[in-house]
Amino acid sequence: MVFEFKLPDVGEGLTEAEIVSWLVSEGDTVTEDMPVAEAETDKAVVEIPSPVNGTVREILAEAGEMVPVGNVIITFNVEGEDEPPVEAETETEEAEAEEPVEAEKAASNGESSAKGGRVFAAPSARRLARELGVDITTVVGSGPSGRVTDQDVRTAAEGGDDGAQAAEPEPEVESEPAPETTESTAGGSQAVSMQKVDREKTLAAPATRTLAKELDVDLNAVPEVEKREGQSFVTPEAVREYAEAQTAAKEADVAAIAETSKEDERVPYRGIRRTIGKQMERSKYTAPHVTHHDEIDVTDLVAMRADLKEEAESRGVKLSYMPFVMKAIVAGLKEFPYMNSMLDEEAEEIVLKKDYNIGVAVATDAGLMVPVVKGVDQKGMLQVSQEMNDLVEKARDRSIARSDMQGGTFTITNFGAIGGEYATPIINFPEVAILGLGAIKEKPRVVDGDVVPRHIMTISLSIDHRIIDGAVAAQFANTVKNYLENPALLLLE
Amino acid sequence: MVVGDIATGTDVLVIGAGPGGYVAAIRAGQLDLDVTIVEKDAYGGTCLNYGCIPSKALISATDVAHNAANAEDMGIHADPAVDMQGMVAWKDGVVNQLTGGVEKLMKANGVNLMQGTAEFAGENTVRVAHGGEGQGSESIEFDSCIIATGSRPFQIPGFEFDGEHVLSSRDALALDEIPEKLVVVGAGYIGMELSTVFAKLGTEVTIVEMLDDALPGYEPDVARVVKKKAEELGIEFHFGEAAKEWRKEADGMTVVTENKDGETSEFKADKTLVAVGRQPVSDTLNLEAVGLEPDEKGFLQTDDQCRTDVGHIYAIGDVAGEPMLAHKASKEGHVAAEVIAGEPSTLDYQAIPAAVFTDPEIGTVGMTQDEAKDAGFEPAVGKFPFMASGRALSTGHSDGFVRVVADEESGFILGGQIVGAEASELIAELALAIEMGATIEDLTATIHTHPTLAEAVMEAAANARGEAIHTLNR
Ligand SMILES: Cc1cc2nc3c(=O)[nH]c(=O)nc-3n(C[C@H](O)[C@H](O)[C@H](O)COP(=O)(O)OP(=O)(O)OC[C@H]3O[C@@H](n4cnc5c(N)ncnc54)[C@H](O)[C@@H]3O)c2cc1C
Repeated sequence: MVFEFKLPDVGEGLTEAEIVSWLVSEGDTVTEDMPVAEAETDKAVVEIPSPVNGTVREILAEAGEMVPVGNVIITFNVEGEDEPPVEAETETEEAEAEEPVEAEKAASNGESSAKGGRVFAAPSARRLARELGVDITTVVGSGPSGRVTDQDVRTAAEGGDDGAQAAEPEPEVESEPAPETTESTAGGSQAVSMQKVDREKTLAAPATRTLAKELDVDLNAVPEVEKREGQSFVTPEAVREYAEAQTAAKEADVAAIAETSKEDERVPYRGIRRTIGKQMERSKYTAPHVTHHDEIDVTDLVAMRADLKEEAESRGVKLSYMPFVMKAIVAGLKEFPYMNSMLDEEAEEIVLKKDYNIGVAVATDAGLMVPVVKGVDQKGMLQVSQEMNDLVEKARDRSIARSDMQGGTFTITNFGAIGGEYATPIINFPEVAILGLGAIKEKPRVVDGDVVPRHIMTISLSIDHRIIDGAVAAQFANTVKNYLENPALLLLE
Repeated sequence: MVVGDIATGTDVLVIGAGPGGYVAAIRAGQLDLDVTIVEKDAYGGTCLNYGCIPSKALISATDVAHNAANAEDMGIHADPAVDMQGMVAWKDGVVNQLTGGVEKLMKANGVNLMQGTAEFAGENTVRVAHGGEGQGSESIEFDSCIIATGSRPFQIPGFEFDGEHVLSSRDALALDEIPEKLVVVGAGYIGMELSTVFAKLGTEVTIVEMLDDALPGYEPDVARVVKKKAEELGIEFHFGEAAKEWRKEADGMTVVTENKDGETSEFKADKTLVAVGRQPVSDTLNLEAVGLEPDEKGFLQTDDQCRTDVGHIYAIGDVAGEPMLAHKASKEGHVAAEVIAGEPSTLDYQAIPAAVFTDPEIGTVGMTQDEAKDAGFEPAVGKFPFMASGRALSTGHSDGFVRVVADEESGFILGGQIVGAEASELIAELALAIEMGATIEDLTATIHTHPTLAEAVMEAAANARGEAIHTLNR
């Protein structure tokens, strides 16, 4: 029998993923759990395991293709009687309760919405789909029982961002500007339909209309020559003039694009890059950011770490400054619980988190990732250190599990690792604060009236000003500072 | 070109002014196209002049008489006298009012009206022959053309329509005397509707039908309700018999039928109505001139934008294929006009409702239970008998039922069959439900006026979920 394998939900409520590569070819024998493909989700590259023992019958998605969750990507021949095709939905390890189920339901409904030639959508939504050039049978409905709404159609038209459509962004530069709007499905002789209709109604003699048709001109777009009975009236000359102007403009456009296409390279905005972008945009435009800057004299910390480093190494752990900072932060968070909170906008409640899960922003080849060390308050320095190192490593080689990037309550970003004193970190939304660390550098400082070299670390703390005021931010920073300037205090934590 | 010909130019030429053609012309006019419509007979086409409207007018008029005469149960004793000429005159008045209205509407939308018979003379030209001696002809040049020439009744060999003994539906609707004995050939919807009219007027009606049942195409339990009532009205059915020939008699005619074993039967009648279906009018258009060829049944093939194989020529209505219904013709007229005007229009309806104006009426839309199964759904079916409807009982018309077919899983309404009083009106609710993607719950949760027949639709939907109040659940 034939087993149809649908792209499983590979992320939290994710609706699409890019197939990075196929690890099998048609005819290959596979065993259950054997990886058959790699897919890049918003967060990471994951391997997709075979759900069955059998042979690969057909591969239905190409490497590089964006595939909506729930689409059949591969079929297997499986031993057994000739039964109708079975569909499979494998659960990813930590499939979250609500969202994936939703997405899956929507996807399967989306399919059934075209069953027997039926599309479950109001005529107005169907018309909108035609106007926007969307094939409504491919739209996943969000209405009752998967009914396709106007909004679903609009979303699909905007590039299937929510996975409504398997829109594959064209990597190449298009050689011609896309028609403005409403390309009629007629696709035939009616060039008129290619144009945006500016006026509702235009008066013209039949001969003018014929001319307009010949010249592919939409009468409603031609500048009016005069008013007749309150309606715009156009002449053959106006039509001709307009057509010439159009042609010239089109040629210029084509030339301009051809020009730039020689040099510019276009890279699809998707996968991890797009996720980061979306996340940043959301954070920046949702939470009013205020950034508090300060510097911390970490001379003692530098000494302490130097002392402990060897001991840690002998226990197989590479000790960086980060675990100290994390511990200091936890101490600060305990003192200022609003710093470890989240705004539940819908309920209009501020949720004070009781977990201390600290995310560490890591620059990887693919972009920014934030692995989360859980329960920092309950773990010893070495354990925190070890866990963080492992996670960072996994983030770098992109083998990190989704769950290891979820559940954070506060984030640290170490921009100083690469260089720089101060920055404006963007909050890892929906958290309410982020601490950016500058590089530790020796700088001259005045101590007891003498100028002496000290190890100085700069910090930049961004807060969501909806929840946290500047004073609290400064107080929190002071606490963290106090712990890091007097690292022995950390022993008390 | 013939000397004296005047070649007129137009954006859109519409051939035929039935419910397909006149709607297309008005819509095209609204969209600011220059439109010319050519009609060889009467504005409004078959529908307004010889079909839907006159037949429904007569059905309603005879119902008035029949109901009055059969209301003893309600305590009414009447013996209405039908003045057939008066009835026909009233019907003609209705028709004239409507056809006059259509003409005015077309004019008001800037449509150029032209009387005559159109025939293609080239890819962008038709020749219009004006009726009558010396009326001459003229040519029209068009950018786009919409063929809306409709259909005509089928003739069967040996039964050429003569308007005297052998009648078409059109002839039957124009009779100004009630025949005593009428043989009706064909138990399709037109045959059944007109049989009912005449039976109610007191005519002895005999239906001969080649197939084994009345109203082929409708589910047996739906057809059964209508057939039973027809028999109560005195209509006699002879199934499995084909009309073979007829003889003129001193006092009328004798119709000879033959069954499949070759045995013949004879029926005496004053007149015989032949209603065995209709065929598209595509053979009189000189289609070769534009390079179009109809299919073997005479229909013009079109895509979902009503376009034929020749890009600038469209076909709509009866000539463009089944179902041959006025509202389907109008919808296509709408779409063709919009497509020509460059709008993103297309035929994307989910279902076409159909009504039969028998006693009781039939209204259907969408899928039957079997069709839903075949389409891959698991149908949830709910039924409500009008016997259980307060409104039906209070009108004295409680035959029939409402059936709603939905998808078990999602609750989406897929179809409905109604047989009973006002089924032609009631079916509209289910048609809307289907187009809107409404679910059983949507129907059930919508408050329906009490007491009405429409409540039966709500109850049938509830029954599909086992939640009906006024009937036992399935
Ligand atoms: C007795 C009867 C009852 C009916 N009842 C119903 C009903 O209840 N509901 C329903 O939906 N449908 C009903 N119909 C069917 C309905 O009438 C048709 O489906 C409908 O009229 C089709 O519309 P049309 O525009 O395609 O064609 P038509 O209405 O047939 O119009 C075509 C027109 O084109 C003209 N024409 C043809 N050739 C030429 C030419 N070469 N040049 C110029 N003009 C030309 C004809 O004269 C005609 O006026 C009934 C039909 C009959 C006969």
